[in-house]
Amino acid sequence: MSSIRLSKIPSRAVRAASTAIRPACRGSQTGVTSSTTRNHSTTSSVSADELSHFSALASSWWDPMGPSRILHLMNPLRHEFIASCLAESPPPTTPVAGATGTSSLSPPPANLHYLDIGCGGGIFAESLARTIPLDPSAPAPTATRAASMTAVDPSAMLIQVAREHARLDPTVDTHLRSGKFKYLNTTLEDLLASPSPSTSPAPAPASSSPTPSPSNTTPSHPQFDMVTLFEVIEHIDPQTTTPQTFLSHCLRALKPGGWLIGSTISRTFPSWLLNQVIAEAPWPIGVVPRGTHEWSKFVNPPELQAWAQEGLMRAADSATTRGGASALEGTRWKCMGTIYVPGLGWKMVSGSESWGNYFWAVKKGV
Amino acid sequence: MRLLTQITLRTYVCPSCRHGAIAGRRRLATRAGQTPDIYDVVCVGGGPAGLGLLAALRASPVTSKLKVALIESQDLNKARSWTMDPNQFSNRVSSLTPSSKAFLERIGAWEHIEQERVQDYQEMQVWDGESGSRISFDWTMDTPAFEEMRTVATMTENSNLVRGLLKRIAASGDENLKLFSNTTVAGIENGVDLGPHGPDLSAWPILSLKPSGPISEGQASSQIAARLLIGADGINSPVRSFADIPTNGWDYNRHGVVATLALADPDTPPFPPYLRTAYQRFLPSLGGPIALLPLPNNHATLVWSTTPEHAAYLKSLPSSAFLAMVNAAFRLSMTDLKFMMDVKTSSSGQTSHEDELSWRVQHTPIPAQVPPMANAVQSGSIASFPLRFRHAAQYISPRVALVGDAAHVIHPLAGQGLNLGIGDIASLSQTIEYAVSHGMDIGDLLTLERYSSERYLTNSKIGGACDLLHKMYNVPGQGPVTWARSFGLDVIDKLPFVKSFLMKNAQG
Repeated sequence: MSSIRLSKIPSRAVRAASTAIRPACRGSQTGVTSSTTRNHSTTSSVSADELSHFSALASSWWDPMGPSRILHLMNPLRHEFIASCLAESPPPTTPVAGATGTSSLSPPPANLHYLDIGCGGGIFAESLARTIPLDPSAPAPTATRAASMTAVDPSAMLIQVAREHARLDPTVDTHLRSGKFKYLNTTLEDLLASPSPSTSPAPAPASSSPTPSPSNTTPSHPQFDMVTLFEVIEHIDPQTTTPQTFLSHCLRALKPGGWLIGSTISRTFPSWLLNQVIAEAPWPIGVVPRGTHEWSKFVNPPELQAWAQEGLMRAADSATTRGGASALEGTRWKCMGTIYVPGLGWKMVSGSESWGNYFWAVKKGV
Repeated sequence: MRLLTQITLRTYVCPSCRHGAIAGRRRLATRAGQTPDIYDVVCVGGGPAGLGLLAALRASPVTSKLKVALIESQDLNKARSWTMDPNQFSNRVSSLTPSSKAFLERIGAWEHIEQERVQDYQEMQVWDGESGSRISFDWTMDTPAFEEMRTVATMTENSNLVRGLLKRIAASGDENLKLFSNTTVAGIENGVDLGPHGPDLSAWPILSLKPSGPISEGQASSQIAARLLIGADGINSPVRSFADIPTNGWDYNRHGVVATLALADPDTPPFPPYLRTAYQRFLPSLGGPIALLPLPNNHATLVWSTTPEHAAYLKSLPSSAFLAMVNAAFRLSMTDLKFMMDVKTSSSGQTSHEDELSWRVQHTPIPAQVPPMANAVQSGSIASFPLRFRHAAQYISPRVALVGDAAHVIHPLAGQGLNLGIGDIASLSQTIEYAVSHGMDIGDLLTLERYSSERYLTNSKIGGACDLLHKMYNVPGQGPVTWARSFGLDVIDKLPFVKSFLMKNAQG
């Protein structure tokens, strides 16, 4: 099966993807480039068709008037949704070393470590990295409180685009050089398989080290305070994995008490009309490139919630302590519909989940 | 209203010379490896718009941490220490709408403006010199009885405003702030890719600065990079040229004559006692309206839009004749006024203008709404400036935004010039605030397009309305245009809801 799907990839895209890697970048991701597609088709959630579709969009990814415009316009709402989750229930974090006596009135420190899965050209990852304070002891400049950002995507070409674009901003470039901001051309599965560096995910010198897991056994893979999954779950490969399995992996990357936050599209008649018929219509009606979405892969909020709960039970970090229903204790679920109004942009509309796009979040119990 | 005078005082560099200078610079380009000082916001121009934007950014907790710089070719210390006798007023005065004033209050600048020198007015009388049709504006329709009358607009000297804004900026501390006083922008070019060990600045504007006077506050650094470059640099904006944004418009072939006047006590004291009135009479045969706007202590500022020939004539008159002309312009018929514009001044200095006025006024029916007689003109306050219309094709470009006169210059007959500029900076500062709190790059087009979409149409509408009024009120005689505009004015005056709607629109 996997070989059939592989043969569908336009050879042009594969060549471009492998030649786009510059020598400078090779060092940081040894071994990834040569075997990217082959590995993914067997062991990962990455759909080869999807990979080629988005790689073809790489050159115009950051064009504000290009095919990804609608995604750019949605980006500020992602920050707002994350901020609303954190306002509701912030993850438990160790106080920043040196900042003693932080009262509840003082602004919270920027001490959350983020993982962005399926970062693409880096629209969200870069915008979050921009909010990381240059001085780690400074209070968080925004409600998202980012201390570090690790962004992964299976497309070597998009990672290349993302890195190139990050260099255009001196602040982001500094974070990229200091390691507070990382782009990894890898899959979630490979990331989780990588040995957990004890000081990872972000070895920022003066900042807090990531919170150790409250259980005695430290997980063998990297874990993060916040994991984001924007417009990804509807693009995974149903032939090699299920959204259920994929979500379990995402939750494994999450520290206890952390939030897994994503956005997707619901699979209902209005969403078919909006996303397939209207949004992908030819110019000037359409706003999304043709072939971006497959309606059958869309996910409804109740399905997502069920998968997330199932995933939480399976992904109990330490195999020994907890599993089953007790893993659901202290979890939270949050969902907010969002609608694109031409001329006005994206608006959060409570209760519009079944119309199409929506944000969702699940908090892992402590 | 008087923002235009500021432009005329700027040294003019013709566009082709400027292009040449910039092109030459570009070839010299930044030497490799030299990292310029990087700022988040660099504002070129230290007028009310540029300083207002800076003050707004410093006032917001979200944007106060941004590293900002302002470049002004004049000496900001002079503006800081500006002072004037309580009975003397600068002739560069602006009328602030309540929403502009509210913005200044919100950013904490209003409290730094000397309140003894500002004057609210609650009523406005506007009439047609040709037909006598009249309209009066006040908020009585929207104000409950027994409440104080609402302000139509507030008059303030630009120097008072600029000084207040500078004080507000100073009160925010000097962290992450650099004011380059006495400094001109020698050139703007794109930066270079500092890779592999630095960021790629090839799409960032880099400004080369050079001191314009002997004392310069920021001589240390001569090259600065801007994440967002603000053009608040007036009608001949170098920033606009750098961004290659074309501008459209025309000259009105009219001049605005300004002066500070002292008024006689009114015949009947105003009621309620705090009531102050602004007056504007359209003089179609003389090329535009004459307006008298109240200042404290029974003073007023004059703006008379007229042809360059009349403006030159008025400026050549001795002060007693000038006063006679101003008083005549609010009272006499078009025919009388045209006659008086040709009266020769006698060599003895004693003019016949006063005699002409006192004789003719006896034979003219005087409407009730005329302003009190002007009985003194402040020496040295008579000046004039050309009236122009300009509108930039865009307000934004990657890492560039234009505000104030750099983006638009309009006819001053509605006193909206500075208010449009303040509307720009209110919108732009909010746009920047939103971007910072949402991780957006403040110089990115996706960020800036919100500013442009909020302001472009509004400014076009008000600029266009002023242009239309100018054209309508330049048709002399008693023809159909005069009839139509007078009918329109009478109708609006008698339909309170239409008037209220128009006032709300004008207020912004």
